[in-house]
Amino acid sequence: MGIPIGKLKPKKVRKNIDLTLWERLYIFEIIRGMTVTTKHFMANLVGFVLHAKGKKRNIITVYYPEEKVELPPAYRGRPVLVMRENGKERCVACGLCEKICPASAISIIAEENENGDRYPASYLLDMSRCVFCGFCEEVCPKEAIVMSSEYEGLAKRDRNDLLCTKEMLLRTENSVKGRIEYIRRIYAKCNY
Amino acid sequence: MSDSAKDLHSEYMVINMGPSHPVTHGTVKFLLTLEGETIIDMKVDIGFLHRGFEKMCENGTWEQVMPYTDRLNYVSPLINNVGYALAVEKLVGIDVPERCKYIRVIASELSRISDHYTNIAAGAMEVGGFTAFLYFVEARELVWDLIEMLCGARVTSNYVRIGGVKSDLPDGFKDKTRDVFKKCRKLWADVNKLLTKNRIFIDRVRNVGIMPPDEAIAWGFTGPCLRACGIPYDVRKFHPYLVYDQMDFEVPVGEKGDNFDRYLVRMEEINQSMRIVEQALEKIPSGPINVNMPEYRWQSKEDISTRIESLIFHFKTVTEGIKPPPGEIYSAVEGANGELGFYLVSDGSGKPYKCRVRPPCFPLTAAMPKMVKGGFIADIVPTFDMINMIGGECDR
Amino acid sequence: MAANLIESIVKILFIFSVNIGFFSPILGWVERKQSALMQDRVGANRADVCGFTLIGLFHPIADAIKVLTKEDFIPEGADRLFHTIAPFISLTPAIITFAVIPFGGQYELFGHHVNLIIADLDVGILFVFAFASLASFGSVLAGWSSNNNWSFLGGLRASAQMLSYEVVMGLNIIGVIMVYGTLRLSQIGAMQADFFNWGIFLQPVGFVLFFTCAIAENKRAPFDVAEAESELVAGYFTEYSGMKFVMFWMGEFLEIVTIGALVTTMFFGAWHLPFVSDQMLLNYFRFAGPNGAASLAIVVNIITFFSKVIFFIWLQMTIRWTLPRFRYDQVMRLGWKMFLPIALINIFITGVVILAK
Repeated sequence: MGIPIGKLKPKKVRKNIDLTLWERLYIFEIIRGMTVTTKHFMANLVGFVLHAKGKKRNIITVYYPEEKVELPPAYRGRPVLVMRENGKERCVACGLCEKICPASAISIIAEENENGDRYPASYLLDMSRCVFCGFCEEVCPKEAIVMSSEYEGLAKRDRNDLLCTKEMLLRTENSVKGRIEYIRRIYAKCNY
Repeated sequence: MSDSAKDLHSEYMVINMGPSHPVTHGTVKFLLTLEGETIIDMKVDIGFLHRGFEKMCENGTWEQVMPYTDRLNYVSPLINNVGYALAVEKLVGIDVPERCKYIRVIASELSRISDHYTNIAAGAMEVGGFTAFLYFVEARELVWDLIEMLCGARVTSNYVRIGGVKSDLPDGFKDKTRDVFKKCRKLWADVNKLLTKNRIFIDRVRNVGIMPPDEAIAWGFTGPCLRACGIPYDVRKFHPYLVYDQMDFEVPVGEKGDNFDRYLVRMEEINQSMRIVEQALEKIPSGPINVNMPEYRWQSKEDISTRIESLIFHFKTVTEGIKPPPGEIYSAVEGANGELGFYLVSDGSGKPYKCRVRPPCFPLTAAMPKMVKGGFIADIVPTFDMINMIGGECDR
Repeated sequence: MAANLIESIVKILFIFSVNIGFFSPILGWVERKQSALMQDRVGANRADVCGFTLIGLFHPIADAIKVLTKEDFIPEGADRLFHTIAPFISLTPAIITFAVIPFGGQYELFGHHVNLIIADLDVGILFVFAFASLASFGSVLAGWSSNNNWSFLGGLRASAQMLSYEVVMGLNIIGVIMVYGTLRLSQIGAMQADFFNWGIFLQPVGFVLFFTCAIAENKRAPFDVAEAESELVAGYFTEYSGMKFVMFWMGEFLEIVTIGALVTTMFFGAWHLPFVSDQMLLNYFRFAGPNGAASLAIVVNIITFFSKVIFFIWLQMTIRWTLPRFRYDQVMRLGWKMFLPIALINIFITGVVILAK
């Protein structure tokens, strides 16, 4: 295991301890630095400020409220509950998400309906505690809670507004379809 | 001159640098005693970002610790994830599949790249080179795009699991990495031109914060700061974990142990890490990414929704947590700042009995007074930056 | 008499509107946008009026509204008087020095002799230096009166740096004065009608040193040790807010313009286009009649002059956003141990060359 010390040939990165004459003269390196920045300046002036309308801007900044970043499928936004066709939640109030949540953000009160099926009478998700880790989605056996790609509307004036009830969390299945397919793929059997 | 200076009534200026001062990012306080601009004495006061990480770990299951480790060194969370997962796996005695090892290597090296980018960028900004800062922040942004593609979050990754990783490499990851690295190399060259030979920058960092090799070992230095002293100690080489022994990379060392060496070592390590990522992406085998051991790794969704035994077992593992055999273990990985160690004690229950982190920047921060005493106020700036103290990791 | 008065008032109003009305707000925008472009960013572009952002040009207005409505804060234990007058002392010299800088030649307009300079002092350069050195009081007083240790350190650094670099800057100017044989800036400008008579060819070393020292005098990066934000929080103006803070800022920006104007006047042919003298300009515009020709020549002069100034502003901004900051002792070493000897040697060589001619 491992290379015995002394056998390794490290790469020396420092060429000289003292300054060379070239480095001693400020001016040449300053000019070199300024050519770099001027090159960026000119490239951005042409490629970004004077860019043709409709063409893709050659800059990393995204004009946020008008434009949105392209989110990868893996993106974990706020957790939401998935709705069935009848408008009820998929959740069966098994409590696994409540148990696994490292921030104890979820609290569920389970009840049974007339058919004997369990459902969450109250499903509270405290968004001020949520750390967006995605464990709830990973342990959920019913694909009832998923990390959507929503990231807006999570800043509130009052902490109590961040306490989400079941109704605030419910989303139709179509709106989170991509995510459900994604989690089916990444937690598929072939990965084990 | 000296006589008249003695007669003058002069006293030292005692001044608080921090906890909220532009240079003490990561929240730390320096109590400085100054004579003019010269530092006579310095006391480091840490703990402003203490969140009780170790105590928090004892209250959750072993899996629940994973998101906490994201918040240790929040610039390279994936390395913390990997370090913790490896420690638990060592405690349990499981070996993860080969593909998982490669993915973990890729993830840690991407994290290391972003950490070094941040570090050098912040260092450049604090000595006034704002443009270099933004070039590297741009490069880091691109690397974080990769990490986001991989893990689903830019900083709080929570990607690695005990006995595997969360998800496989996404489609098109290799091509995207190639594009990103091409841009990053260009930006690296620009920053190199702006800083490495610029005398103004060299004067700021050269012969500042010198730490001789023997004392560095005595203080407990690891990582780039130790390598800057000329000691080629790298956990990846000397105690290889994952598949680092199959990777071809070099360990950059400095000569003198000053800030310039630390800067150069980090700049070179960025290149070496990129090499590792490229090699790993070339060599990566296909296969599973998680161990098929339901008692340690949660089972696949397919199993859970089709087999009742799996479902029952899933409930059991999630609610009770995994149960490593009683014992204790120390396992270290090469973090971005040095040796990141996890010392875990298990008592056989579902919760860690003790989860102690060896933060690489704690000894480095402790050595700050040694490095800057006798220097100028302005020397604190590059020194403190180049040791790269991360509050979340140091104070935990 | 009345014509002279009107002429002076017009010139003063012109310079005031150019400096205060145009340069000082626009430079804030320029600094933001130029640095943004150099650093692959977008820059401030969010202030909008009815949905139009005009590439961020409304930001100076928004800034002005912001600072005017901010609390004027004086810390406890501060010297109220000096804390209040320090920004004025910083700002005033930057405006006043422009009085002796010529922005055009001398023309006959409607039978009246027009000299495109507000005050054609025969000791023009000395006037500039006299006032520029006053600015150091501003930073020293600001640092001292704020009752804050960081401000105090910043004030000390500022005073030492500005005093040292004034010495070197003065010695650089001696070379220029020796070459042109006059202290009057309008004459120095007029003597550069010939392209090969420009200061940059006669005093190349002098130009580099003067430009560097001027940036140091203005305390901008890489010489911003006095306000080094990572070391001293904000240096001598840590405790300033609102309009007073902006006065330091405006002083800095106006000094950028002044430096550009001085460099242009002394080293880059003042208001002259290369190979084109004022007389040639008048000949080109002969079609417009004598008065029209003079007016057109004046316009060309002013445009030429301010184009050069704008180029030097751009150069200063590029330098500011490219280079890291010096350390305080390195600034001093650079000034006293490198620039001072070079300046002296420059004077000596200039003298030898002049004598040998």
